[in-house]
This record gives sequence, structure tokens and C-alpha cells, in this order.
Amino acid sequence: MSKKWKATLLGIGLVMPSFLILLILVMYPVWSSIKTSFTGEDGQFTFEHYIYIFTEPLILTNIRHTLTVTILSCVFVLIIAYSIAIYLRFSQSTVAKWINKTYLIPMFIPGVIAVYGFINFYRDNGWVARIIGDEHMPTIIYNVKGLLMINIWFNIPFTTMLLISALQSIPNSIIEGAKDAGANQWRLFWHFILPLSYRTMLVALTFLFMGIVGSFTAPFLIDKNAPQMLGVSMQQHFSVFNEIEQSSSLAVFMFLLCSIVGYFYIYSNIKESKKEMK
Amino acid sequence: MKIFNGVKQLAAGAIIGFSALSLVACSNGNEADASGKTEISLYSSGSKNVEEFWETVVPMFEEEHDDIDVKFVFVPSGTGGQSTMDRILAAKESGNDSEVDIYEGSLEDILRGKETGDIFYPLTSHNVENLSNVQEENLAGANDLAVPYRASSVVLAYNEDKVTDVPDTAEELYQWIKDHPGRFAYNDPTTGGSGSSFVLTTVYNQLEDDAMNIQDESIMEDWDQGFDLLNELGPYMYQEGVYPKKNQGTLDLLANGEVDMIPAWSDMALEQINKGLLPETIKLKQIQPAFTGGPAYLMLANNDDQERKKAAEEFLNYVLTLDVQEIVMDQMYGYPGIKWDLLSEEDQEKFADVMDGYRIFNGGELGSKLTEQWQKEVAAQ
Repeated sequence: MSKKWKATLLGIGLVMPSFLILLILVMYPVWSSIKTSFTGEDGQFTFEHYIYIFTEPLILTNIRHTLTVTILSCVFVLIIAYSIAIYLRFSQSTVAKWINKTYLIPMFIPGVIAVYGFINFYRDNGWVARIIGDEHMPTIIYNVKGLLMINIWFNIPFTTMLLISALQSIPNSIIEGAKDAGANQWRLFWHFILPLSYRTMLVALTFLFMGIVGSFTAPFLIDKNAPQMLGVSMQQHFSVFNEIEQSSSLAVFMFLLCSIVGYFYIYSNIKESKKEMK
Repeated sequence: MKIFNGVKQLAAGAIIGFSALSLVACSNGNEADASGKTEISLYSSGSKNVEEFWETVVPMFEEEHDDIDVKFVFVPSGTGGQSTMDRILAAKESGNDSEVDIYEGSLEDILRGKETGDIFYPLTSHNVENLSNVQEENLAGANDLAVPYRASSVVLAYNEDKVTDVPDTAEELYQWIKDHPGRFAYNDPTTGGSGSSFVLTTVYNQLEDDAMNIQDESIMEDWDQGFDLLNELGPYMYQEGVYPKKNQGTLDLLANGEVDMIPAWSDMALEQINKGLLPETIKLKQIQPAFTGGPAYLMLANNDDQERKKAAEEFLNYVLTLDVQEIVMDQMYGYPGIKWDLLSEEDQEKFADVMDGYRIFNGGELGSKLTEQWQKEVAAQ
């Protein structure tokens, strides 16, 4: 065997275990739910479950609701996390240092516990209501407002972390050079900082979208009974109504949604690496 | 080549390791072990209180019967309770041993078992002596295939301080809800039995008395009147139509004082009142016509093994003794499975508020159809 061959075999051998695990734990279940979603009661190929999810008013409003909540949450999280990241990158104050030390805490609190804490805090007669008075308390729990708030709370730490590392990789020399050449803060932001961190923003957006669109715990416990997020609706079809085919077709639909977002991310990455190769 | 050899060895090691692990897993069967003990398994599901109950009863039984070992497997509700039943059915079909001896299941499971033939052993007072002590109305659904060893039902739970005119009938309850907007809540019926009992009884109260035993889908056309009533009541519910998730969701609202009246499971509510999780001002009451409820059943899966069958029958007999039935009442706050007059007067008194009976819904699949229609028509109104 030539040296090159050995190296190739070794490479394949090293990739094989993780590829096999991927095949068994990911590819096979994905394939079987795609198959289930196209199987009718008589075991024949059918589109009826997709016709159901795209004609049934219940599911249509659920899809609309899911997209609205996901997009709004993504926008809010990105704006807030980006502001925090910029502040932490360029400020040397004590406040910034404290934020730097504490902003990751929500990542280490288990989801269900955080949700119950949140409910107790913002319930109609919860802690906040006791402080500001029942009559001034807007309805937050069992409402989409509460769901947006908890999505923001859950997702800010990770997004901020990603964005900070992107901002920190911008060399100080670029910023100082631009300042020396007479760029004001707005120009600095629009022409240097934003273009240099925009790809990480895209990565963050992909993670945010996929995480929120498929979330279950928070929407199950905090959102209204209808319309529902797709994750809740899927669970309901699966284990309450025993309609496994329909929940499979919902899962496939959700997978397609995520792959559209994933496509943009990969596409922009490929474009970028092609540029670098030239 | 050296590196390549290393990888090969690693792979071989991993394969040997995995197969060793799977062998260990396989040998974990239900055979009678060397000491001559018969090992049987008990599969149960439900809430935490069911798990705690069996964790008390199983050691008690083993102490009295040192030739029997009971392996207790608990499947928490909502994580595939159906799969135990599917496992029994699949084993029967392929002629294998399901390794399930005693199965705690629902009325639906009994009917499925009856349809498929001999997947459960018949149970009468010949092989389980204490069955003659069981309440007769509960035996009706058991079809001689199951032991109804305890029961619970949905009742009305209300705050005595706030509710002065406690409803006696369902009609009065609907009127009370309209008179006190925002003070009543039932939980999302797709997430818990107390809410679905409210929905179910509201719909079936508009129909004939024996409609609850009909399993034909044609009855769905008659549901409209009940759903109209539910929609009419919607705006008078907590937050003008919020239905919290899970049975505990409404109990939490009652405990916090956000609502004054809810439908709740008798055993959950009694337990939480006794443990101080619900204030003492919370009282329970059954209305007429009653909410639904029903017994919990134990069945014996037929695995063609006489020794294990005998041991399992012994276990069922033990569950119906006064000792265990007292644990049902004291620890689970469930209704006992044996006749009321066999109990002490003190015990009978404890359940006086709620023992006004319950109705048993026997509609099979229609139950989930009903919650599905609720999701489409009431939740989304």
C-alpha cells in the first residue's frame, strides 16, 4: 500500500465511528419519520397528512404563530445581544466588568426551573404584581408576551458570547487606524465593525431560529392554549391524539424550515471561503 | 502501518466491549434464580403517587412471601405508557415472553385484551380469593380479566371562604361560572384528566344517560350542543379563556387564590390538602350528575408460565387485603377497591365528602377525539 492510500484509509477509519453514530441516531430516525409522514392508514403512499397540515385552520394558525414568535424573538435577541456585546467590547467600566462576569448565568439554569421561576415572578398575583400592585400588572403569563420574554432570557447569553468573540477578533489597530484617519463613531460602526461581525450574526441567527422554532417547554407552560407553537402541537398530535403520521409530517415541515435557514448559512460560508481561496 | 494497527485494535476492542455489554443486558431475564425464588415483574405508570405506593407495597409483599421476588418497573405517564401494552401484544403475536407479569392499565387496555384473545389470564375469585371483596360496580368493566384495586374520580374543589353558594348540580355549576367571571378554571383537557372530565361531562350532560357507553363515532355529531355551552362559558373562565396545563396547573391557581373553584382529581386534592400544599379552606364536593372517574386495574399478562402465574396471583390477592387498602387510602388518598362496609367507620368518614360516586366513561377512542375537537373549537375560539 502506498503512503497516500494508508493516510486515506486512516482518515476514513477515524471518521467512521462518528459517521455510523450519525447514521444510526440521526439519519435513520429522520428517514423513518419522513416515511411515516407519507404512509396512509392502509400502508400506501399518500399526501393526505401534508394536505391536513396545510388546510386545517388549527395547524395553519399554529404555523403562523410559530413563525411570528420565532422571528420576533430572533430580532429582539439579536438587537439586545449585539448591543451588550458592543458595550462589553469597547467599555472598560466596572459595570461592564460585572456584566461580563454575570451574563452567562442563565445558561446554567435548567429550563423547567427557569420557566417555573419566571411564572412565579410574573404571574397575575406574583412577585412583580405584589410590588407594583395588581391593577398595574399586564397579563404576561399564559400570553405570547411572556413567551417572547422567556425566549429572550434564554437566548441572550449564548448569542452574546458568540458576538463578543467576533468583536474581540477585530484588531484594535483597525479601529485606531480608522479613528486616526478621521472616521466618526457611526462610520466606524457601519464600515468596519458591522461588516467584520456580520457573518457571526448570521451564525447566531441560525442557532436562534432553530432553537426557538422547535422549543417545547417554555411554550407548553407559558403560551396560551391556542394558537400553539409547532413543538407543542406536534407533541399533542403524537401523544394525545395518537396521530403519529400527522405529527411526523409536522416534524418534516419543521425540518424543512430549519434547512432553509441552514442553507443560507452554509451558502454564505461557501461564498466566503471561495473568496479566501482566490 | 503502526498507527493503522493501533486503530484496528481499538476498533476490535470497542466491538468486543459492546457485545459484552449487550450480553449482560440480555441475561437480565425473568428466570427463577438459583435460590429458588420466583421472579415476577410489575409494570405500572401514572403520577408520582402511584410510584410511591408500589415502592411501599412491593417490599411489604416480599417480606411476607420470601419465595417471590417482585421487580417493579415504573413508566411515568406521558412517556409511552402505551408501549407496555404494545410490548405485551407484540410478544403474544410472535410467541415470545413479554417479561411483563403484572400490568397496571386502563379500561381501554382490558377491551383491547378482550378483542385480541388470551393475552390476559382470566381472574375470578377462584384464583384470586379476595376478588369477592371488591366493589361490584367496579367489577363490571373488568370483564373477569382485571382487578380494580383502587379508584379515584374528579370532584369539584372550591375555596370555602370565597364560595358561599356551592353548586349541587352541573346546571348550577354552569350558572355559578357565569355569575363569577374569571373565578373558575379547568385545565387543558389534552394535558390532564380533571380538565378532560369537565369537558366530557359538559358535553355528555346534554345527551342521554347511557351515551357514555357508546363507542360509535356517529355520536360525535351530537356533541355540538355541549361544545356550544363550552364556548359560551369560555369568556367567563380564568383570564377570559386560559386553560392551564396539567392537573397541577389548576390546583396551583386554586392554591394561589387566582381562582375559587376547579375540577380536580380526588386523590391529588386530598393529598395536597393533607400535606398543606392547598390551604385548609379548600373543600371537595361531588356534583350531580357526577364527574367521571374510575378504577385502576391490574392485569396478568399470559406468558405460559404457571409458576410465575401463581406468584402473580398471590400478589394480586395481597393487594386486596385490608393492609394494602389502608395504604391506598392513607398514602394515596385513593378510594379503596374493596367494599366500603369492610372498612373501619373512621375510614368511611374520611371519604364522606367525595364518595357520592362517579360516572365511568366507556367511549374508548372517542375520548381523544373529544379533546382534539376541544383544541380546534374551544381553545381557538
